[in-house]
This record gives sequence, C-alpha cells and structure tokens, in this order.
Amino acid sequence: MEPIRESVSVIGGGSWGTAIAQLAADAGADVLMWMRDAAKAEAINATRRNETYWPQFELGENIRATSDLEELAGHAKLIFSAAPSHGFRDIARELGSFIGGDHILIHGTKGLEPDTQKRMSEIIKEETPAKRIGVLCGPNIAEETMQRQPAATVVASKYPEVVERAQAALASPSFRVYGSRDPLGVEYAGALKNVVAICAGIVSGLGMGSNTLAMLITRGAAEMRRFGIRMGAMDVTFSGLAGIGDLIVTCSSSLSRNHRVGVRLSGGEKLDDIISDMKRVAEGVKAAKSIYEIARRNKIDMPIVWGVYAMLYEGAGVDEVKHILMTRPSIYEEDYSRTDR
Amino acid sequence: MGKQEWRLPVSEHDRDVIIEDVVRRVVEEKVREAERAGDAAALEHVINDVLYHEKLRARSAGDSHDMQREMAFLSSTTRRLSQADFAGKRVMLEKLTRHYADDIAGHFSPRIFDFSTRLLPVGLEAVFSASSPAFLFNSSPNISDLQSRIVIRGDIERIKELARLGTIVVTPTHCSNMDSLVVGWALNDVGLPPLNYGAGKNLFVNKILAFFMNGLGAYKVDRRIKHELYKDTLKMYSLALLEDGRHSLFFPGGTRSRSGALEKKLKMGLLGTGLSAYVNNLINEKPKPNIYYVPLTINYAIVLEAETLIDDYLKEVGKSRYIIVDDEFSKPAKIIKLLTNLLNMESSMSLQFGEPMDPLGNLVDEDGVSLDSKGRKLDIRKYVTGADGNVRHDAARDMEYTRELAEGIVASFHRNAVVLSTHVAGFALFEMLKAANPGIDLYRLLRFEGEGRLISVADAVAGIERVISRLLELNAAGKVKLGGSVRPGECGREVLYKAMNFFGMYHTKPVVVRKGDSVKLVDLNLLYYYHNRLTGWGLEELFRGDD
Repeated sequence: MEPIRESVSVIGGGSWGTAIAQLAADAGADVLMWMRDAAKAEAINATRRNETYWPQFELGENIRATSDLEELAGHAKLIFSAAPSHGFRDIARELGSFIGGDHILIHGTKGLEPDTQKRMSEIIKEETPAKRIGVLCGPNIAEETMQRQPAATVVASKYPEVVERAQAALASPSFRVYGSRDPLGVEYAGALKNVVAICAGIVSGLGMGSNTLAMLITRGAAEMRRFGIRMGAMDVTFSGLAGIGDLIVTCSSSLSRNHRVGVRLSGGEKLDDIISDMKRVAEGVKAAKSIYEIARRNKIDMPIVWGVYAMLYEGAGVDEVKHILMTRPSIYEEDYSRTDR
Repeated sequence: MGKQEWRLPVSEHDRDVIIEDVVRRVVEEKVREAERAGDAAALEHVINDVLYHEKLRARSAGDSHDMQREMAFLSSTTRRLSQADFAGKRVMLEKLTRHYADDIAGHFSPRIFDFSTRLLPVGLEAVFSASSPAFLFNSSPNISDLQSRIVIRGDIERIKELARLGTIVVTPTHCSNMDSLVVGWALNDVGLPPLNYGAGKNLFVNKILAFFMNGLGAYKVDRRIKHELYKDTLKMYSLALLEDGRHSLFFPGGTRSRSGALEKKLKMGLLGTGLSAYVNNLINEKPKPNIYYVPLTINYAIVLEAETLIDDYLKEVGKSRYIIVDDEFSKPAKIIKLLTNLLNMESSMSLQFGEPMDPLGNLVDEDGVSLDSKGRKLDIRKYVTGADGNVRHDAARDMEYTRELAEGIVASFHRNAVVLSTHVAGFALFEMLKAANPGIDLYRLLRFEGEGRLISVADAVAGIERVISRLLELNAAGKVKLGGSVRPGECGREVLYKAMNFFGMYHTKPVVVRKGDSVKLVDLNLLYYYHNRLTGWGLEELFRGDD
C-alpha cells in the first residue's frame, strides 16, 4: 500500500506533545495541536514557540494550535495523544463525541488509571468509538527529540494499518519508528519503567555508582518481563525499545520527576512531604500503587516494585528495603516463574 | 407482509448460479495471488495441497466407499498435473472447486420445508420409526405440543425487523446434534425466515434425516476436509449467500462442546464472512448492506450425547476426536427416549436470543444502527475506510474486528445462558465433592474419589441454595438468565429433586440416585459434564474455604 501523506492531530501542549508535533511536522505533515488553555494555543500560533516548555525552539510552520477538540478531530484522522494518565478518561470522553470509526488514536501515556488500574487503550475503548488504537513508547526524552538527535520509538497495535500510518507520519532520517504487535506489553512496560526510575533515583541519592544502577536496570527489566508475561504480553517487548530501551534512558536521566522523588526518598523524606511541593505528581508514584496491587492479586513476584511501594506508601525506611532486596534467596537469572509474594 | 418478503434459502432452482459464482471468485482469487507472487507454479501448489490432505485423510478413513469415490474423482481430475500449462491447471482448479461447491450448496425445497416444520415432531417420530420399525410397535411416545415445552425467549420482533433491514446471521451455542432440529423448528415457529443453515456433514449420514436437513435449507460443512481450497470454497459460499441477502445460521464454535461448558473460543473463518460481505456490499453500493449477528443460546436439562461427549473430552491428550459420528445421535431409540422425556417435562429446553450486533461486535438499536459502548450512534462504514477515505478490505484489520465480534458473541452467550436445574445441581454437587478432596486432580477425583460418594440431602440442598442465591444476584445484574425452576422462592430441595428426576430419566446410568437421606453420586463423568455448564461466572469461589 502506498503510504499517504496525511494530516496529524496531537493532543497535549506539554513538552512531549510538542515534540510529537514537531516530529510529524519534520516528516512533512500538516499538524494541529490541542491544549485546554486557549491563551496558550493563541500564543503558539502567534509566536511559533511553546514558551512554557520549549522557548528555545522555533516550531515548524506547518504546526498550528487550538483549544477546540472538535476542530482537532476534524483536522486529521490520525491522532496522537500525549495527555497524562490523570484526566485521560475525561479527555477521551470529550473526544469520543467528535471522532468516528475511521479515526486512528495512538496514545503515548506511560501509566495506568489510578483507581481502576486500567490501561489507556482500555479507557479509549470505553470512552470513544475508536477501534484502531495504538501505543507509542520508547526511549524518547522530549528535549533530545526537539534537538533532532537520532532516536527511535515503538508503535504497538493489533492493526498493522495503525503501525504503517504512524510510521509514515513520524519517521524521518533522525527518527525511526519500529512496529510491535503487543500493545498490552508496551503499555505495561511504560508504566512499569517509571517505578524502576524512582528506584534509580534512590540509588543515585544514596551515592551509589554504575554497578548498582546496572543491577537495578537489569533486574528491573527481568521483573517487568515477569509481570508482562503473566498479564499476557509478549516476551520480546521487554528487551525492546519500550522495555530495556526506555529503562536505560529513564534511569540514567537525573532530570525526571521520578528520579527526583527517588532522591528525596533516599534522604528519608516521606511521600506526603514530597508530593506537597512538587507541582505534578510523578507518574511512577501512582504506578507503584497500581502495579503493586495487580502483582499482589495475581501473585507475581516484583521485589523492586514492592520496595518502592513500601517506601512510598508504608513508610518503610531505605536501609530496611535495601537489606531485604539484597538478602533475598539467590535464584537463577532465567527463573521467571517465581510466584511467591 | 410476513414470510413472503424474505429470500428463501438456496434451492435446486438457483444453486447452479451461486455455485458458478463461488467457483469463479475462488479461482480468480487464486489466479490473482499467483500473479501477485509471480509464481507460475502457484496453482499447482493449491492442487497439490488438496491431494496431499485428501491422501492423508484416505489413509485414516480406510476403505469407505465415499472416500474411494472421492479419491477416484481427484486422480482423474488432476491427471498429468505437472505437465499441464497454466490454463490447464486453471481448468483443473475450477473442476475441483466446483466439486466442493456442489457438495456444500443447499437444496432447499419449499414443499419439504412446509412439511417438515409443520410435522417435525411427528416427522421425527416417523423418521426414526422408519429406520427402526420395531419402535412403531414397541413405543408410543406421547410427544405433546412442542410449543409449550420449548421455551423461546428474546426480542423476536426486533430480529424480524433486522431481517427486513439487512441480512441476519444467527449464531447459536452448540452442545448437541439435536440443536439443528430444535433450532430449525423453533425459528420457524416464531415466524423468522427460513435460514441458510451451515450443518455438519454428520447430520446427513442418516438418509432420511438428510432429506429433511436438505429440505430445511441446510448447506453441508465437512469438517473432515482440511485443505485450504475447501475452506476457501466454504467461506466464499457463505460470503456469496450473505451478499445475496440470504439469512444464515452457523455454529460459531464449529463443533459440539465436549466439556459441556459454553464456547469460549470461536472459529474465525466463517464468522469473518459477515464483515467481508458488508465491505463488499458497501463497495458494490448495495441498498441494504448491513449484516446483523444474532447470538442464541440453546439450553437443555439433559443432553442427548452427554456420555459420549464428556468421555471424549476426558480422553488423554491427542486421543480426542474432533468429529464423532457413532454417538447417541446415531441411535434412534435414544433420541426417541430423550425427546419423549424432555417434551413431557417443564423447564427442560430453553432457547434465548441475545442482543443483535454488527460484524464488529457493536450492539445495534431497533433501526439497525450500531451503537458504541456509550450508546452513541455509529456509522460503521468508517471502520472499514482507509487513509484515502475509501472503503477497502484489509485482512489483518478485519481479522482483528472479527476477533472483537467473537468476544462479543462469547460474552452474549454467557449473559444469555439459561440456567436449568441439572446445571445447578451438577455444579453444586461436583464442587462439594471437590471441596471435600482438596488438591486431588480431576482424573483421580472422577475415577476414584467420587464414585459411590454420599452427600447428605441437607448438605446438597445447602450447596444448591448457595448457588441459587448468587445466580439471582447475577441475573439481577443482567449477567445470566434463569430457567423456570431456578426462581426466587424456589427452594433448593425442589431444584435438587427436579434435577435428580432429569438425571435418572435418560442416561445409561443415572447421574445420581437417592439413598436414604443422602444423594449418591453414580456417574461422575456426567456429573462433571453438567457442572461445566456453570463455569465462567466465578461460582467456584462459593465452595472454596478461606483462601
């Protein structure tokens, strides 16, 4: 099938939403961004810059902004979403009345719905008529994406058409788009890695070095894989861009909110103090609770997730957790079937 | 008004036209594939695939007359295959396809249909008396009015309306060969149009039954044939029917449930023809393009072939038979016995129609318009539109849509299953046996621990009432339907006695018997079979201790 140059709509005027918009514009698409704040949308149209997040980058001419969701739905059949996990359902519900069966909806949210523990694609199915749904996830720090550094991401969908159209819309000489047939695995990977990222912050805050970080990343990936497979995901997803790839980038970056939460936990601070002076709650804080509860219900062994959860929600001290994790019974690396928890 | 406006099933009058259409389309598709792949030998591959699979089948089918005839036809048609040129191979392919299409296509006869449906109860008796004259003299089954014995529920008027607005595909659960007869009669009785019926070939083994099945509009599905050409021909036949506005029926589970449980995995091949027909209808701008699926549950207090089916299910892995022909359905005496008893008891057979849905699994309203999960109206044309805005086929996309349809049908089967006394009693008694033997695996439970086991009537009643009260909750939440004897206020004792009545009336050994103030478990396999009907609603947790 000949790829068609199609228009692209993007939900979210934050750092990642703007980055996606820029990627699509670089690939030649006509892009319309949506954000709640009408003033911000006007400012972007007037100044060709997203002053709040990327004052240093001039946005492509083929990028426009709006605060009208209906206009967004009418502009393009291909819609990317960078909305955060909280409020996702509300946006989906609003969008639902404006889109039809011919819309393709690809979300890039790395998280689960707090109370229901549902994945974003499940919410999309509940709130909108869209069926051709995809998930975008990978080692993509927004700033480096805006700098057009060579990078790659994964678009996962049950529909090859969704992958093809996403590839046509985003791929360029500095951005590769890999396909995946495992949207469930990619969604869980995205949520899980944020929890491991908090742990990376703890490791960093305690002044530990590369050895510890490498152990964390590797065993974190093993734990993610164990969870994913039990929940119906494909094995290989976790050794891919959405799994180990994103884990490497998130755990190595000291700029993320998750990292900062971890550093503060390592200093003995409790969750309430941390939340009270951070403007937005780190995704990993919410995900830790959701993942922990799913793991417990399904008897999946997740020591790192448990450790983060215990420190966030049960007031466990960092030394206590460290000791427990380091003195667990030794097993073989390839034993993924443990269910004691 | 009424039946006249509906298309009749494929008859002698028009089957040739449909057959030629099917042959042309199947062969053209194969030729196109060959051209696209640039493979001159592609047609030969298709034919060789046929020969290979049929030879395999012949080896295990032994010396059956039919198989010999089949092999003779194949070898004469494909003589000198490798020396034939492309045109020659195409001719061979056409002959093979026509052979299969001719075997599949129906032979509806309005005369026979009329006769069958008016006289089916008596006809059945005549059918089986004719093949076993002794029964004319030995038994005089008092088959009372079918109408009051087979309960049919659901929004029949809505389904009739959808049959006027588009083309309907009824998709029933399948646990017995009686299903074909019961459904055929029942659908006609409520005034639905005669359907093009995809029936397993084993229903045509009995010549007299075949006469009726043909007359009723059935087309033959031969599940013994494994090669691609047959499957493609079958799918194309179903597709051609649906595009031609001919209302259809087939069992999406493909075969009778061996375990007694409701279908969880459906066969996607035939199921997906509805969506393909819809897309073709849009492309060809047909005035009534819509296809509507109508799930239907068929519920029996006693299943004719239960003993054979559960026995097959429990066979060791690899020895299970996909097609069983020598079961109770081949013994007229058994059918008469069952029918006589079932038709003379209340709450013994129940049909429940589910909510109709479109080929993507969306529910539809009274005007046949699809609705999304929030009840918003949908233009489902958009789901099959490509990036350029045009309607197009997309095999991978459509397979995923059909998978969602299958999920919707399975969910509908569960919501619309009608729970009868034998299901409740079977479930409660078996779960109680399991709870009394924790950690014991199924086979040991069935073969050693269970047989002869006594459960006090008091305990049995208590267990049954636990199940009933949960069923009442599920029913109130719209998650299951309840048969006549499973009602609020109906105490567990009455359900137990009713079930025991059914359990003892037909099977070779009674499933359970009364022994003093206890219930004695006699046939564990059958008990397990009837138990399995209630899996899928989480009722097992009622019998698990604190976990």
